[in-house]
Amino acid sequence: MKAAVLREANKPMEIEEVQISKPGPREVMVRPIAAGVCHSDLHFMDGSYPYMLPTILGHESAGIVEEVGKDVTYVKKGDSVITCLSAFCGHCNHCLTGHLSRCNSPEVSRKPEEEARISKAGSQIHQFLNLSSFAELMLIHEHALVKVREDMPMDRAALIGCSTTTGVGAVFHTAKVEPGSTVAVLGCGGVGLAAINGAAIAGAGRIIAVDMVDSKLDLAKAVGATDVVNASSGEAVGQIIEMTQGGCDYTFEAIGLKATAEQAFQMLAPGGTATIIGMIPVGTMVELHGVDFLSEKKIQGSNMGSNRFRVDMPRFVDFYLNGKLHLDQMISKHIKLEQVNDALEALKSGQEARHIIMFD
Amino acid sequence: MSRIEVESEITGNVWKIELKVGDKVEAEDVIMILESMKMEIPVEAPSAGTIVEILVKEEDSVEEDQILAIIES
Repeated sequence: MKAAVLREANKPMEIEEVQISKPGPREVMVRPIAAGVCHSDLHFMDGSYPYMLPTILGHESAGIVEEVGKDVTYVKKGDSVITCLSAFCGHCNHCLTGHLSRCNSPEVSRKPEEEARISKAGSQIHQFLNLSSFAELMLIHEHALVKVREDMPMDRAALIGCSTTTGVGAVFHTAKVEPGSTVAVLGCGGVGLAAINGAAIAGAGRIIAVDMVDSKLDLAKAVGATDVVNASSGEAVGQIIEMTQGGCDYTFEAIGLKATAEQAFQMLAPGGTATIIGMIPVGTMVELHGVDFLSEKKIQGSNMGSNRFRVDMPRFVDFYLNGKLHLDQMISKHIKLEQVNDALEALKSGQEARHIIMFD
Repeated sequence: MSRIEVESEITGNVWKIELKVGDKVEAEDVIMILESMKMEIPVEAPSAGTIVEILVKEEDSVEEDQILAIIES
């Protein structure tokens, strides 16, 4: 099959012919129809998050089941599915207490002594986050996908595979935003826009979008922001405290920087909660003013929107189809697999929303 | 001769140990692969030398800053 292979950090991916194994027990072969190019892919491509190389990036996709392995009963050939990196074992403490996105069990991967799921000329190509969707086929654990309605457009469904679930889930599950509350979202990329949309669905009274790019702030308004702040002036914290007369009940950092994580905490009202969604580079420390804890301000992390994706994703599909989840605006361009490097370059510029790879 | 401690940057599990005691390494050679939150994270030699101790085994849980191996250079 054809795939975009990353062999060295900070170098373009190459389109190569690679081999994919046959589905083993509890494994499913998925033919992706659409795959989003996500900012998280960029973090791994530029090495700010180290990963075993060579690998095939891509972790936000939707497609059709091509073949199932032994013991798979959940899906059959021809089913429409969304994939998710939050593959769950189903029996660890995290899974059994409803926190499937925290599952850290290695059993959804193949063991080191087993044949690799992806290889080239006998050498392993490391599967990325148990998915690797920048490829014509994906061989994944059955607990890394969810069935969805057949009338859901696959390019929109792909977005639900990561950015929507991460942003909306952070609002619904991690922070549990209350109706009428005041929310600020720092960063209006795919995840930030999803958080804004999620806050609107959750009934937040005021939703303040913060970014340095006006076109993204326009998108933010289209998906539910009530106010926007262009942070180019460097005075976002002061502006938001003034606008809200004392700070926000909930803030969401959707960039992955020390400075914006600290700002998300600084712009809280007493008792408020900052939720860090962005992937802050490994080794980076975040500094907070200790006295702020006396006003019961809180800060927390959110991974993949604290999802229970087999429940959440079909609900997000319904939200899209009944007009509450605005996915159409999130897609800036449909591309071919061969254009994946251009899509990642566009993400670096921060000027565009999402490019979606469409497979023939 | 100096002893260099190779530490884990993250909390996770040892998925695969690629090298063994006595192996010579160059800087950035992968000694083992950790798995953390579905990520396969390489643990690389910080400098050239010889592996004199590997302090974990496959499937072990490891903590941030835990010493995983010792290299002598």
